[in-house]
Amino acid sequence: MTFHHAPRVNHRFDSLTINRLGLWLFLVSDASFFLALLSSRFFVEGTTTPADVDQLLGLSLTVLLLLSSLTAYRAEVSAEHGDLSGAKQMLLATIFMGIIFVFGVGYEWHAAFKHFPPSTGFGTVLFTLTGVHVTHVISGVLVLILVYFRVHSTDSVVDNQWSVEGAVKWWHFVDVAWVFIYPTLYLIR
Amino acid sequence: MHQAIRDSLKTGWVVIAVLAVLTAVEFLVAVVFDNTAILFTLLLLVALLKAWLIIQYFMHFGQLWKHVSDAWYGMLIDDPEIDREED
Repeated sequence: MTFHHAPRVNHRFDSLTINRLGLWLFLVSDASFFLALLSSRFFVEGTTTPADVDQLLGLSLTVLLLLSSLTAYRAEVSAEHGDLSGAKQMLLATIFMGIIFVFGVGYEWHAAFKHFPPSTGFGTVLFTLTGVHVTHVISGVLVLILVYFRVHSTDSVVDNQWSVEGAVKWWHFVDVAWVFIYPTLYLIR
Repeated sequence: MHQAIRDSLKTGWVVIAVLAVLTAVEFLVAVVFDNTAILFTLLLLVALLKAWLIIQYFMHFGQLWKHVSDAWYGMLIDDPEIDREED
């Protein structure tokens, strides 16, 4: 009787490697989408920025999102070192700041409808860029809430490590996107 | 608190402080400079620097290379130890 070997499966890739590579591939593909939207700002409106743009609000949103990146980072560090209580606190803080950010963008839209409605060039750019970005923020907040309840319901550090890390990486990506959106919408002229 | 956690948290505070300074710089640059080309270049440089800080220190971009090399060499090279185990 002859035995034939089945095709060899390479077991060297652990799930963490696959998860991280998969997430990074997705982030890179999503970044190209933001890049296209950012370039459309210069195509549609050049470098013109209306004087009515609320500079203080733009700066406040930027500071808020950067601060939320710190709390997200601390949540990841806490989870990595087995401090699930600390991770939960930092996740809550991040979720809270994310929700405030969403309301901030809502406030911006309320004002924007008066000064530069979507029918204008700058309005098109502003509503598209902030709209796509805030969708990412909302999805990030939802994922962070899911991860919070997951950490809350299990005490296993190993089970929670990747879920916290993955959600936090997504949150940082949202922050990186805003780092480019802020000067593109508010500061260039 | 372990030294490793302290070091990680310290890194977080240093990065956020630098990000705060860079945000203030880009705001001031936008106030000071009128020339669009100079303003665009400076804002782009600051944004790239901020993004690099977040990607490198908060998103741990460095750890990705290990995974990429694992995947790359894993696809190309057979591991004799795995071969022996499977035989």
